Amino acid sequence: MAKNPLHTRLCDMLEIEFPIIAFTHCKDVVEAVVNAGGFAVLGEAMHTPDEIAADIKWIRNKVGDKAFGIDLVLPASVPPTGDLDELRKQIPQEQMDFWLDMKKRHNIPDPKGRIDLHQWGGLNKEIARKQLDVLLDEKVPVICSGLGNPAFILEDAHEKGIKVFGLVGKARQAKKEADAGVDAIIAQGYDAAGHTGPVGTLSIVPECVAVAGDTPVIAAGGITTGQHLAASLCLGAVGVWTGTLWLASREGDNDMIIKDRLINSTADDTVYSDCISGFPMRVLDCTWTKEWRSDAAPKVLGAPYQMLLSSDYIQAANDHRREDLMTEAAGQGVRFITAMKPSRQIVLDMVEEALGVFENLTGMEAF
Amino acid sequence: MSSEPLKTTKGFDPEMAGKRAECDGGGQFGERYMRREEFAGTLSGDYEDHGDPAWRWYLMKDLTRKPEHYPWDSVWCEQGNLFFEGE
Repeated sequence: MAKNPLHTRLCDMLEIEFPIIAFTHCKDVVEAVVNAGGFAVLGEAMHTPDEIAADIKWIRNKVGDKAFGIDLVLPASVPPTGDLDELRKQIPQEQMDFWLDMKKRHNIPDPKGRIDLHQWGGLNKEIARKQLDVLLDEKVPVICSGLGNPAFILEDAHEKGIKVFGLVGKARQAKKEADAGVDAIIAQGYDAAGHTGPVGTLSIVPECVAVAGDTPVIAAGGITTGQHLAASLCLGAVGVWTGTLWLASREGDNDMIIKDRLINSTADDTVYSDCISGFPMRVLDCTWTKEWRSDAAPKVLGAPYQMLLSSDYIQAANDHRREDLMTEAAGQGVRFITAMKPSRQIVLDMVEEALGVFENLTGMEAF
Repeated sequence: MSSEPLKTTKGFDPEMAGKRAECDGGGQFGERYMRREEFAGTLSGDYEDHGDPAWRWYLMKDLTRKPEHYPWDSVWCEQGNLFFEGE
């Protein structure tokens, strides 16, 4: 019998059975994936330090001594000021009129409450630093930095027994973070959901492997199947980072409307557009994205104006559960999400598919 | 959230002043999204350290590259995301 190809350095490092990392905003998904033998990272970028501490306690109660991670989007750049009301007044009339006309034509209601998209945690270095201090105080097993370079906390984190992972979109970022001593690099390709780097997953992963030295590299971007997992290992990765995969899971806390859309979507139903935030990002196509690529649309504004313009729309769509308006960040691998499965089953299906790939390639029983 | 103010130190680093640099920047917006944005410009030498261990930020001015419609003429860059010529 051949060596189990799915037992990688990542498994030894995190004491997990399978080299599958779930990135999620839902604690129930964390519990299910960790207890199924995978690893899970909870996105906490927009939570207060007190909320983060409570979530860590909740997870520990559910998974015991098993390892898990917390992800923060450490900002890498911040503008000198961030007065949203002032910025909102500067939105050009042409774009504002286009939005108001769209609102009327599609009968888009006002949001019910506060605008979540106006909560710019990443613009505030102080909030981000306090969030980080909670993770260090709580000695979470793994801290993931979803954007900025976490080098400045490495010494402190390692003294506390905390591992630190950095997510990158460019090889030069990978080299800088690997040289600084992060425990793993997450190489995120263009196929991913949301804002991505410009390089595809098939290229960014081996590029990062080449420059990361002994630092293990985890593949991210468009990964939703066991075939993707097997391919990632062949590219030199030690595991995969998956996000979209869990949005439609049974434990996932997304609205059922979004889950249905994800289950019935293909890569063609995602669009890479700057019309939501002013930066290109991959989302499910929706009324907003269609309108902004119509002939009547004015020029898309840059950030932060475009995001301020789109935030009323997004919040209204979610508040009123309007299927024709709602959208969600989704990666190109969405085609392979075909049912609302329990997270445990998603993990095990991915493992079985990956092992099948290796058996087909080698002609040997892999496990 | 803790109401205690974070220890913040402001200073000037003459060795960084005038250096040309690029910043692979970005941050969070909204509850589920992050953004990536790139800048190039000249470091003024001004810095801020936040917390302990210090999280250092340098002020970049005279921006020669910035996101379209970026309304400011400067940006604070986290030191680990700065790249100098040859990097």
